[in-house]
Amino acid sequence: MLLCWDCLLIILKKIGKTLARLMFFQALLDNPFLQMALWASLLASIASGVIGSFVVVKRIAFIGGSISHSILGGMGFCLWLQRVHGIEWVDPILGAFAASLISAWVMGWIHLHYKQREDSVIAVIWSTGMAIGVIFISLTPGTNVELMNFLFGNILWVSSRDLSLLAGLDLAILLLVAIYYRRLLALCFDEEQALLQGVPVKKLYLLLLSLVAFSIVLLTQVIGTILVITLLTLPSTMACLFTNRLSILMIISASLTACFCVFGLGASYELNWPPGATISLSAAISYLAALTLKRKKLNRRKPSPVILPH
Amino acid sequence: MSAIAISDLHFSYEETSILRQVNLEVFAGEFIGVIGPNGGGKTTLLKLLMGFLIPNQGTIYILGKPPEKARLAIGYVPQAHRFDKEFPITVFELVLMGALSQLSALRKTPVSLKETANALIKRLGLTAHKEKAFGTLSGGLAQRALLARALLADPPILLLDEPTANIDPPSAGLIFEILEEMKLKKTILLVTHDLKTAIERVDRVICVEGTASSFLPKQLCEHFALGLYHAPLLGLPTDHFEKNR
Repeated sequence: MLLCWDCLLIILKKIGKTLARLMFFQALLDNPFLQMALWASLLASIASGVIGSFVVVKRIAFIGGSISHSILGGMGFCLWLQRVHGIEWVDPILGAFAASLISAWVMGWIHLHYKQREDSVIAVIWSTGMAIGVIFISLTPGTNVELMNFLFGNILWVSSRDLSLLAGLDLAILLLVAIYYRRLLALCFDEEQALLQGVPVKKLYLLLLSLVAFSIVLLTQVIGTILVITLLTLPSTMACLFTNRLSILMIISASLTACFCVFGLGASYELNWPPGATISLSAAISYLAALTLKRKKLNRRKPSPVILPH
Repeated sequence: MSAIAISDLHFSYEETSILRQVNLEVFAGEFIGVIGPNGGGKTTLLKLLMGFLIPNQGTIYILGKPPEKARLAIGYVPQAHRFDKEFPITVFELVLMGALSQLSALRKTPVSLKETANALIKRLGLTAHKEKAFGTLSGGLAQRALLARALLADPPILLLDEPTANIDPPSAGLIFEILEEMKLKKTILLVTHDLKTAIERVDRVICVEGTASSFLPKQLCEHFALGLYHAPLLGLPTDHFEKNR
């Protein structure tokens, strides 16, 4: 036991020394891009931790994936309007917001009225959004830096506008969840009971999906459309291993997301890897490690004695 | 005033007719057993009573009001197995959900409500499991927790969808014991496949199979004795049974 403790201390000291020598921490002090990126990841963790928890417990990860991919349609369309028709005010992010909201509401409506075909409709919206995006991109001349940023994330190029949008979204999410926590919990766990108790289930579900849609658009700034689902689902799925309360799940999930983002950002800086993919990979590896540790712990537990009836 | 009044109710799902010409009156304080084959429309009837489904024709009145406006008067116990086992919710949180309409984010949960919840949890033998995740409970315990949730707001009408199916006898016994206590105080509709229990404990049996017909437990016993129980309840020709007897 003592030996283990000594070993742990030595390892921790070594890690501390290595960290102090890492270029990332030195660069963090004097590189404004990295500082902005760090702020963006911390703000994004709140949104993804809270909304991701709902996505995981309500089992709507597939809806999240569909929203994130259908964004491309709105982006592509706005970019085409800007470049080909010279309408300057249609920012691609506006298109992204509009596309995400439309797809979220269509899927919400389908869930509320035609549950039988829900999964197929989600797949249709997923691919239609992508298809529209791809067509408009091909019609738009020039290099589409914005689109590449949306696809793979642009955390190192986060603007102060993005930061304030993220902060505003965090504030809105925290406020709404604080007010509607119990109702959202009921909606996610048992829609029928929520209805019986007078919860406006349809409106609340569409509100939840709208929050998911907004979070996805802003999280794509950090990690990109393709990988946004990682940030929205993995930390919350991992947090499920440690708690049986939704409120605590959100806190653990937001903290884990912050850890993955900071670690991923540092690792990507050291290794010169793309930040979005590095963050995703660190989240996935941590989840697998946590799952393995949990399994081992469960296996080690002794079986309870069987009491036979007299 | 009758607790539940249904007249000339028709309900079909897409093109399939599920309930036809249902006329039913349930008086306040009655304990009704609802029986019938799978797909006969038992759960549909419960959903119509809660206003989750809209009938194609006919009217339903719960305590004199249409179902959508009488939801708070209903406590509903669904089947425990249909819930997500991995959902992060404790038994106490689940029970509190029974009085969701009385809870608000802007003020603390009333102490009296917490005390009622604790008393119900104790009565249903769940004290040791109060802080455990609902999904980790066994079928019997989970069903008891759902009953506690339905009883928390003390609703005058209780609808139970097969609460004793696939659960251990002690849990089923406890559930029936509590329902007996509620007799006359609440109007209870209990959907069950357990005919023996239905006959022993309820005031009246309603068989739902396309339409709803009402029997006294005594009448059902007579059918049992004649070996005819299935025939009139399930709409089969009685002479077939007569010949084989």
